This record gives sequence, structure tokens and C-alpha cells, in this order.
Amino acid sequence: MTETKRTSGERVLPVAVVIGSLLLWWGLAAAHVFPESLFPDPLAVGKGVVEEVITGRLFNDLVASLFRVTAGFLLAVVLGIPLGLVLGSYGRARAALLPAVNFFRNLSPLAWIPFAILWFGIGDSPAVFLIFMASFFPIVLATVAAVATIPMVYFRVAHDYGLTGGEMLMRVTLPAIAPQVITVLRVTAGLAWVVVVAAEMIAGRDGLGFAIWDARNGLRIDLLVSGMIVIGLIGVVIDRLLFRLTRIPSVRWGYER
Amino acid sequence: MIRSSMARWIVGAFGLLLVLGLLRFKPWQEEVVRPRQQLTVGFLPVTCHLTCPVTDFATKTSTSTRFQSQRFTDFPTVVEAIKGGRLEASFMIAPLAMKMREQGLPIKIVYLGHRDGSTVIVRKDIPARSLVDLRGKTFAIPSIYSNQYLVIRKLMEDQGVGADEIKFVQMAPPDMPAALAAKAIDAYFVGEPHAAKAELDGSGRVLYYAKDIWPHFISCVLVVHEKLIKEHPDVVRDLVRGIAESGEWAETHRLAAAKVASPYFRQDEKVVRYVLTQPKDRVSYRMLTPTDEDMLVIRDMAIKVGILKTPIAMSDLIDREFIPKDIRPADIDMAGAGK
Repeated sequence: MTETKRTSGERVLPVAVVIGSLLLWWGLAAAHVFPESLFPDPLAVGKGVVEEVITGRLFNDLVASLFRVTAGFLLAVVLGIPLGLVLGSYGRARAALLPAVNFFRNLSPLAWIPFAILWFGIGDSPAVFLIFMASFFPIVLATVAAVATIPMVYFRVAHDYGLTGGEMLMRVTLPAIAPQVITVLRVTAGLAWVVVVAAEMIAGRDGLGFAIWDARNGLRIDLLVSGMIVIGLIGVVIDRLLFRLTRIPSVRWGYER
Repeated sequence: MIRSSMARWIVGAFGLLLVLGLLRFKPWQEEVVRPRQQLTVGFLPVTCHLTCPVTDFATKTSTSTRFQSQRFTDFPTVVEAIKGGRLEASFMIAPLAMKMREQGLPIKIVYLGHRDGSTVIVRKDIPARSLVDLRGKTFAIPSIYSNQYLVIRKLMEDQGVGADEIKFVQMAPPDMPAALAAKAIDAYFVGEPHAAKAELDGSGRVLYYAKDIWPHFISCVLVVHEKLIKEHPDVVRDLVRGIAESGEWAETHRLAAAKVASPYFRQDEKVVRYVLTQPKDRVSYRMLTPTDEDMLVIRDMAIKVGILKTPIAMSDLIDREFIPKDIRPADIDMAGAGK
């Protein structure tokens, strides 16, 4: 699917869905199906967004959350891909560590909250830790799987050409696994962004996730919904951005069917 | 080719992190010089903890210790922060403080947060006049370690309602008004303003004010770590005095107190004002000395319902050393309040 070939219908439909949802929302609110203070109408939420923008809190929260997610996610990438390469290449290491990685992958980052506080206190670091925990294990596993599926013939040919060690890694292994790894990066970046709401539950002072908890505590459902909308939109932007990774000429082969 | 494109991505990613880091920590802003002692005090956005942000606000301009209020969203996080040594003073529900002490955590109750300030709310369409009419109904409480739960259990006993005749559910206070509106629960007992919220929404009505059930009801206390008492008794003394004087001020300046506290709570000032004034004795910030008698009632009830195992000694739990003899209202400059 390329973006230039979209028909007009493909452009109109998503807009229609958005408008339709807004109308449904507005209709439900106007009909007072739910108490007003618990189910605000789109206008009240819009006012909430404007209020957050004017006070500068939205920008502040946005920077805080993006910083934590970027730091946690990059840390997971920087440590996860090399570990995945090692586990993928060495059978013994894989046998030793893969079960543990699989075990930790299944734990919800929320379960780590008490330890995050114990080890990192409150503020940025525990949130970064939780985001790291959410993204690290899937990245490792995907890298291991990607390395395992490289056809042996690649290595044999490379060997015949006299490639060894670092060269083999840069010119055979990494290009071969890139498409799969990029796909998992997109998925885990989304995951990391989802976890930010939970991670910022730990007493902070800012962040979009914190703003949501805070709005809930402060009985401000309008601000809560405005936080949800901003988080959703940023998530879409992050995914679009990472989608561009698949446009890199040398990895495009992995996506073309 | 991959190298150059990839390299651009890698540089881009770390560049982004750098930019975000700069925007976040603003290293170009000079650090404010703080020659004074400083202490972080934990609180939750409930009116039971109102004196905490008021003290924060008051000590912005005072010359004594600076008290920075740290808002939490739930009590387990507060407990974990104290256990992890990241927080040395906080407001918390009384039975939870006892539970921590029972677990061997060296904390002391040095003062109370408030009197009264909790309310039993029932659905508007249920014509209940006492707990007897709530038999078989679902009743939400903030935690089994809350004094609200203990008091309701006591009242059930007094009214001849069996322990299993009301179905209790634990729920985060902010969710209670919505759950009541959705008819998922029939009644709840919680610290304000989460009760007033249902009243203002029109989905609930007051069944009992805390003062009707237990005059001078206590739900929250101020706890400090013994390490702080040992190393900085002067800071603890400043803190208790600050809380006491903020309470005295809030008692007589209710509208101003709502204005000061609502931005700290990030709550609508109208809601906070409603709680502080409708009626005026819905919550009180006087008589905040923790007495053995009051605490013994809570402790014994906690043992009875099974949340405490050992009868902890009051001398281990309470330290009244720091309570000032004369309590004057805090001198609060309203400039900058409400922001």
C-alpha cells in the first residue's frame, strides 16, 4: 500500500468515521444518558484542551511523557537488539536465557510498580524503567526470532567472500533481520506509549498519563478525555513516523509482497 | 545504503532524546537557591488532607522550613515510597498507618489531618434511612484499611446488621460517583470531595455525615518516619506547627482555603468550596491531637475485623511531642492563591 495511490474514498472514509463518532458522542451527551459531569460533551472536552494549552500544562505534560517514552524505548532498543543478536547466534546462550526472557515478557509492567518505586524512587526514572520493561523483552524475542530465520546460505556465501565478524554482522545479519526488527519496533513503540499512562501513575508532577490520573482524582472527566485524545493522536504520529523506517531503500524488500 | 539511512535514524533518535531532555530539564534556568531546610510531605487530593497544600502554600513565603507537598494518587504508592525511603512524611488513613507500624516500619503518628469530613452517600432512588435498609446492597469503601470501613462495620453492629448482610467492594474514591450513577453500587462511604460529587451530580444523597455516626471522626493522620524525628526534630516540629496553624486558618477562612487548595488538588474550586461550607461542620481542622482513646477505638475495631493482628502499643504508634501549645491561625498572604 502506497500513500499516493489512495482513492478519494480512502481519504473520505476515515474523516467520516471521526465525524460520525463525534456526532454519536455529542448525541449521547446531549440526551443526558449519563450524568453530565461523568460524560462531558465534545465542547466541554474541547474547552478542557484549550485550558490545558493556555496554561502551558499540555506542552509540559507532552514533553515529560515523550521524554520518558523515548528514553525507556531507546534504552530497550540499545540493549535489546544486541542481546537478541547474541541469543540468536549462540545456541547455548539461547538455551540458558530464552526461558527467562519469555517469562519476563509475560509480566505486566504494572506489577513492577512497587519495585520501580523501591529502586528508582519517584519521578522520571521509575516511569522510564516501566517503559523499558514493557518494550525490552518483545524486542529481544523478535530479534532472536529474526536471526534464527536467516537462511544459512547467506552466511556461507558471505564466508566465501571472506567476510568475518563485524563485517558479517553489518553486511549480512543486520540487513537480513532489519525488516522484522523494524516491524517489532513499531509494535513496541506503540506498547511503550500505552504503558506511559500506567507508568506515570507513580506520583509524578507531570506527564500525559499523570494528567489522566490527576484529572480522575480531581473529578475532571473533561480533562481526562482531552488527555485521552492527545495520547491517541500522538500514538498515531509515532506510528506514522516509525512507518517511515520501512521506506528505507535497503529494507523495503522485506515489506514487498 | 543501509548504513547511511540507519545512521540518520540513530542520530535522529538520540537527537530527539536530547531535545526532549533539554526541554524537560531546562538547564538554562538557574536553580533557585534554597538556603532553608526542605521536606516533602505526601498527600492525596481529598479535603481530609487540605492542611498539607495549605502548609505548602504558607511556607512558600515563610522563613521556617519549606514544606513541599507531593500529590499521590493512591495509598499503596505512598506506603511504597515510605518503605523505599523516598518519602519521610505523609498524610494517610489511620488503620493503614497502624498496619505499617505492625509490619515493623518505624513510623509515628504525630498529628491528625482533620476531624469528620467523610460522608455516607446512597443512591437517590433508594429510600434507605439507615444501614438496616441497605441489607443485601453493594456498598463501596476506599480500602479495608480505611477507617470508613471500620466505622461502618461498627455502625452495622450497633444497628443489628450482620457482617455479611452488606456486600462491600473496595474501589478508588474517584470512581465511586460514576459507579453510583451507573447503579453498579448502591451506597458508599468516603472522604470528601468524592461524596459531595455524587450530591452535586444529583445521583446520590447524604445518608450520614461522619459526625452523625462518630462525632469528631478521624480518617487520616500525619505520619513521619522515626529517622526524621531522630535526625531533624526541628523540621518535624515546624511541620506539625505548620499543619496546626494551617488548620486553624482553614477553619476560619473556608472560602480562601478552597481557593488555595483547589489548584494543588487540581479540582474544581466550586466542589472544594461546597465541601468546606455545606454544611460548615462537614469537615473540621481543629482538635487535631491524636489521643490514645481515639486511636484505641480504631485499633480495636481493626483487630476485630481482622486487618490488624497484634494490639500495637499506643506509645509505639503516637508521638505527641511536637504539638504546639498555642495554635494561632497561619499568616497567609493570598497573593498568588488559586494558581
